[in-house]
Amino acid sequence: MTEGCLSLSNVEVRWSGRTILAVKDMQVRQGEFVGIIGTNGAGKTTLLKVCCGLIRPNRGTVKLDGRDLAELSAWRKANLRKHIGYIPQAAEYNAELPFTLRELVAMGRTSVKALLSRLNKEDYEIIDSWIERLGLSQRRSQTFRSLSGGEQQKALIARAMTQDPEILMLDEPCSNLDFNWKYQITEIIEQLHRETKITVVMVSHETSLLPSVCERVVLLHEGDVLADGDIEEVLESEVLERAYQCRIEMLKLAGRRYTVNKNRM
Amino acid sequence: MDSFFYLVMFAGAVAGASTGLLGVYIVGMRMPFIGICISHSAMAGTIYSILLGVNPVWGPVIFSAISSMSLGLVRPGRSRINANVALAIFFNLMLGITFLGIGLMHGSRSEVLGLLWGSLLFVRKSSVVIITIFGLVFVVFAVLFNKELKALLFSRTIASATGVHESFVYCLFLALCGLILAVNLPLVGGLMIFSLITCPAAAAYQICTGHRSVIIASTLFGMASAVIGFLISYYLDLPTGACIVIVSAIVFAVSASYRALRCQCN
Repeated sequence: MTEGCLSLSNVEVRWSGRTILAVKDMQVRQGEFVGIIGTNGAGKTTLLKVCCGLIRPNRGTVKLDGRDLAELSAWRKANLRKHIGYIPQAAEYNAELPFTLRELVAMGRTSVKALLSRLNKEDYEIIDSWIERLGLSQRRSQTFRSLSGGEQQKALIARAMTQDPEILMLDEPCSNLDFNWKYQITEIIEQLHRETKITVVMVSHETSLLPSVCERVVLLHEGDVLADGDIEEVLESEVLERAYQCRIEMLKLAGRRYTVNKNRM
Repeated sequence: MDSFFYLVMFAGAVAGASTGLLGVYIVGMRMPFIGICISHSAMAGTIYSILLGVNPVWGPVIFSAISSMSLGLVRPGRSRINANVALAIFFNLMLGITFLGIGLMHGSRSEVLGLLWGSLLFVRKSSVVIITIFGLVFVVFAVLFNKELKALLFSRTIASATGVHESFVYCLFLALCGLILAVNLPLVGGLMIFSLITCPAAAAYQICTGHRSVIIASTLFGMASAVIGFLISYYLDLPTGACIVIVSAIVFAVSASYRALRCQCN
């Protein structure tokens, strides 16, 4: 395997003496769509945070674009991360602030522009085009806090896309959404991946939310990578049963894979 | 009314405006404890300056600078303790150091106790010049780093992950925050400054749409709280600090009620 745009080797994250993530080798190649699944507390969010340099591992190396994050100064690391689009879980942002949707989407241009510079007409054209593309034109002047959960996720995707990202990292982008919005959001992500060939790393609790373009899945269990490979291989009942400790049946409907707990049937 | 009356009014307006503006970021980042931590550090600095017999300007500046830098080390998602818990511990430490200093003092403690409530009536022209300069410096900072500050307000985690120079801008903000609180402390007081940071900004966040309107409203609310509070205390012969605190709380209560009514109507 060639060195990817993101690579982790011998990474270990410890918290209060307990290992919460241990990844021996993981490479994400440019243009790949990688799904990360696993049980609660398996280390999915930690893995994503390690990938974008928010958590510094106790051991091992994380390379972004071939450069070791640990060896870079805070300034250089920030410059390297300019083209990471990151959408965390809701607890990581303050949705109660009265930012308008346009102001929020415009934040995506912050890292692209130099310090002390102001957004110009060209930036606002990019911002407005993403607002329009995601069907939020009618909501442009509304506050972010007044939008529905699904619209807020769309706004965060638009914000990330105005950065012109090379890699998009999403931490459970469909949590707390109704089933219709869940599929709308995953379809948007799928479409963006198809159109822009952007690298996507997406954490999901539900296997059915991994879009058809997701060729590779990483299954985490108690901080360890239990399986990493082709979606057909990883989303197998026997593999998932080892992580979830229950009898599982996989159902394939309309190109999506649903997990059913057979113990409850 | 003589020129001193207008000087006091002006000092109150500048202190209210600059703390109101500062509050937009402190309240927006959901860390109002930062304000109280730094203001108590500045208070401790002033007390130890008096105790050691050195210029009382340097003590609060040094103490607040040290506390700002220490608070800058509390990183979202990386620190093992919650930021607000760390701030609460820091606040208690500063309070302990302050009261230790008060306990070590001999003779009259009226000057020290004045630091708790401030003494707007003992304002001097030189102090008004200093707080105005620092207020303007913060305005320039807020304008120059407007886009970065907005990104930090929404989420320091996203800002950091996506390549915004988050730690640089945040540390600069904390340093300025410490300086503004330190220079305003003798006028506004350690306890009162906290209400001038939180109430106007919290009121503005209740009723405004868009970041710019929050900034304008919070600055005006801070200014109005200080000026109206001072006028009430002047005409009714009441303590100035207490009047300003109560007015700023009323401003918040009115804004919150207005928002609640508006939500019901919609």
